[in-house]
Amino acid sequence: MAHQTHAYHMVDPSPWPLTGATAALLLTSGLAMWFHYNSTTLMTLGLLTTLMTMMQWWRDIVRESTFQGHHTMPVQKGLRYGMILFITSEVFFFIGFFWAFYHSSLAPTPELGGSWPPTGIHPLNPFEVPLLNTAVLLASGVTITWAHHSLMAANRNQSIQALTITVTLGLYFTALQAMEYYEAPFTIADGVYGSTFFVATGFHGLHVIIGSTFLIVCLLRLIKFHFTTAHHFGFEAAAWYWHFVDVVWLFLYISIYWWG
Amino acid sequence: MLRNLLALRQISQRTISTASRRQVKNRVPEMQKIFQEDNGIPVHLKGGVIDGLLYRTTMALTVFGTCYAVYELIVAAMPKKVK
Repeated sequence: MAHQTHAYHMVDPSPWPLTGATAALLLTSGLAMWFHYNSTTLMTLGLLTTLMTMMQWWRDIVRESTFQGHHTMPVQKGLRYGMILFITSEVFFFIGFFWAFYHSSLAPTPELGGSWPPTGIHPLNPFEVPLLNTAVLLASGVTITWAHHSLMAANRNQSIQALTITVTLGLYFTALQAMEYYEAPFTIADGVYGSTFFVATGFHGLHVIIGSTFLIVCLLRLIKFHFTTAHHFGFEAAAWYWHFVDVVWLFLYISIYWWG
Repeated sequence: MLRNLLALRQISQRTISTASRRQVKNRVPEMQKIFQEDNGIPVHLKGGVIDGLLYRTTMALTVFGTCYAVYELIVAAMPKKVK
């Protein structure tokens, strides 16, 4: 039986890149079908195949790392670079929406009444639910750090408890924000205020949902003994992503909710 | 709604702490044995029969979807006959 004489991971042939790319095709053409021909079949197919690809691809990564031992130090280093670069790209994604917000709000046009918030817009009180949301996310940042330190100290019960509380706080944020969206006196169609508000907070909310899902997967893996005290990169990646989501919210809160 | 949220939080915490007391078994060594078996099966199929079923379902959906997308594209490209 031949053994590799290097520390890198030569992956088995996998169908998921192909199914993932095809899923993207179905999603995009599905969007076009929905917008122009009022049919949601293609888009539904696209969402389904995207979900199935993601679940199987990431399942395989867990198998390759925890069960097959392919994630040596050099491999882990590459994964760390990868996650950092991905989060950086997401930072730039949000910078675009903040740029749009500041472009419109720093110099409000006469059409808006020359003021920000524009005439007729009643913004949400930043010291009500938005402040609670800030407290919830900041607390979740503390609990995830607690979970990490407990994990490194081999304290199973505390790490599970702390990560559970983190997930709960994330779900609580989502529920509160959903309620705010429902109760808001303005909509996405209410001029540039509505557009910048709902697109920026909306994409943030999507990232909270993605981050919460990542954390739930980590919680399940934590319960199933997948992580060791020294090797738990999946957890660290989730924690980095979660802190990123928290920081974006802080910028949103200060810029759009408070200053805006 | 808030009361429901708080109840959910309590239930989830209670469930997790019960699980810890129930001692979830560490199945990692078993899984390591299964996935390190030298049988030449690629990792996406190595878990058993369900892997194959999931793979075939995913592939079938993507192939069908691609054909359907191309079909809709062709239909969209043909001008409708106006009577």
